[in-house]
Amino acid sequence: MLNFDWLSGISQNMAKWIFLGLFILIGILVLFIPNDYIFQGVKKQDRHWYMNLKLWAIIVLGMLFYTYYIF
Amino acid sequence: MLAGIDLFIIIAYFAGMMILGYYFKRFVGNSEDYFLGGRTLPFWAIGMSVVVSDIGAMDFVGVSGQAYRFGVSVGNFDWIGSVPAMLLAAFIFIPYFWRGGMYTIPEYLGKRYNRSVRTIASLTWITFFAVDLGVLFWATAVLLNVLMGWPVWLSILLTAGVVGFYTYFGGITAVVMTDVVQLIIMFVGGFTLVFLGFHAVGGWDAMVTKIHSMGPEYQQHFHLIQPSDTKSPFPWTGILFGLTFVMANAYMIGNQTIVQRCLTAKNEWHAKASMIFGASLKMLIPVLVMFPGLMAIILHPGLTDGDKALPLMIKNILPPGLVGLMFSAFFAGMMSSVDSLLNSTATLFTKDIYEPYIKKGATDKHYLHVGKITTLILLILGVITSPISSKYPGIYVAVQTFLSYFQGPLFSILLLGIFWKKTTQWGGLSGLIIGIGVAVILNTFKGRFFTIQDPFLYVSWWSFVTGFIVTFIVSLFTSPYPDKKLVGLVYNLTVKKSNP
Repeated sequence: MLNFDWLSGISQNMAKWIFLGLFILIGILVLFIPNDYIFQGVKKQDRHWYMNLKLWAIIVLGMLFYTYYIF
Repeated sequence: MLAGIDLFIIIAYFAGMMILGYYFKRFVGNSEDYFLGGRTLPFWAIGMSVVVSDIGAMDFVGVSGQAYRFGVSVGNFDWIGSVPAMLLAAFIFIPYFWRGGMYTIPEYLGKRYNRSVRTIASLTWITFFAVDLGVLFWATAVLLNVLMGWPVWLSILLTAGVVGFYTYFGGITAVVMTDVVQLIIMFVGGFTLVFLGFHAVGGWDAMVTKIHSMGPEYQQHFHLIQPSDTKSPFPWTGILFGLTFVMANAYMIGNQTIVQRCLTAKNEWHAKASMIFGASLKMLIPVLVMFPGLMAIILHPGLTDGDKALPLMIKNILPPGLVGLMFSAFFAGMMSSVDSLLNSTATLFTKDIYEPYIKKGATDKHYLHVGKITTLILLILGVITSPISSKYPGIYVAVQTFLSYFQGPLFSILLLGIFWKKTTQWGGLSGLIIGIGVAVILNTFKGRFFTIQDPFLYVSWWSFVTGFIVTFIVSLFTSPYPDKKLVGLVYNLTVKKSNP
């Protein structure tokens, strides 16, 4: 129980896809964050597309996904 | 021994750090400037500082050594063990603490739960940081003694002198801005070694083929996800439950040295952006610290001690001049860790212990003075106590183990405290104490409970689960604070208030 023996039936490849699925899930959740919340603290006229932190987060998650996909 | 040009580079590095750090003295006028940089710092500086504070010289050697023994799975700690947690911190927790005008994490816990929870959390961090300081000084100085032949005391006094100088005068602004330079030095030194190492082994594909052909024990060396029954300390179940869900979040959301930097941001956007920018830099760290260990498998096969991999790589691959740069990177790793410990411990002591218990209602100048004096006393204590490590060689591991007892339960009460308004002060206190107790029991009798040799990932998960369940159950049977008192402390109450 404490050693997670109940998960020993999951193969290495299936485990890999659990991790990759987790990254996709986080990416989907990030997309749902309202833009107003993302830009809090920035005046309307100073907001630019490249300052959208959702874009930054998706790029970082993409890097993470690719890393776990190739290894 | 070092060539003349190497010594010149190292001395120039130390002198540069002192001048840069002292420059920021002019920006310290009150205690908010000293502890939070006057809330004026940009995201890129904070992000770089968060990342470099997390890598010490010990990590360079230790991670390379583990990569030599276990392969790329050690990279999990910087990849999945940091990035998702940094995104969670960026989008939910950091804006929260920033908006609340907090100085410390225990300060939040005190407002959300009670004074006891605040004091337990604060004293635990202060103890850990203070002990870690002496251990860090000694362990790194011994490492530099082995690598460079420098006397242990020279490394300790030189580092303590330079770090103490700029941290005392410049506060967290000096800490963050010197960290920026230290990260650049670390990246230039580290990536030069990786580039020349790849040249020596014939490139990535050649390295993978050669390592795979070295025998059955190397077949898992290029798998990040290890089987659940692996002999290495990194089974995928431990990485997912213990590291990703608990330790990573507890570290990025509950660690004062990390969070305090984000609270120095000039606005809420910069606070969030600092963590995401830091996460992108984190993706590069395993390349820096792990790849030399993998290359050493080919260039120096059959080492019984994996920790010798990186020193051998430096000795045999880097030309004079670049050796000095690499050692400056080691010093940068040590100094960025020490300055973080000093400034964060001074903040915790001044804000969570001195102000509420020793001298309430004093002037701001007084608290600024206390912060500076605490920094100085901690530094002297760290230097004086550092030789204790030589008498107890296991103390470095013991200090890290002590922290792992605390992180799971701390994260459970932070999580419930922010997301569930019915969490009560007695629920939080019980969850923290019983969670730590369970972690101690599991670790003491780990031979009976666990099948892998070093089950710290499992211990952190089960202590988190215990803390969570105990906090939840005790909260059901005790009375919560009224909603009015929790505005700004609980997520849904805050959202309602800020978006009417």
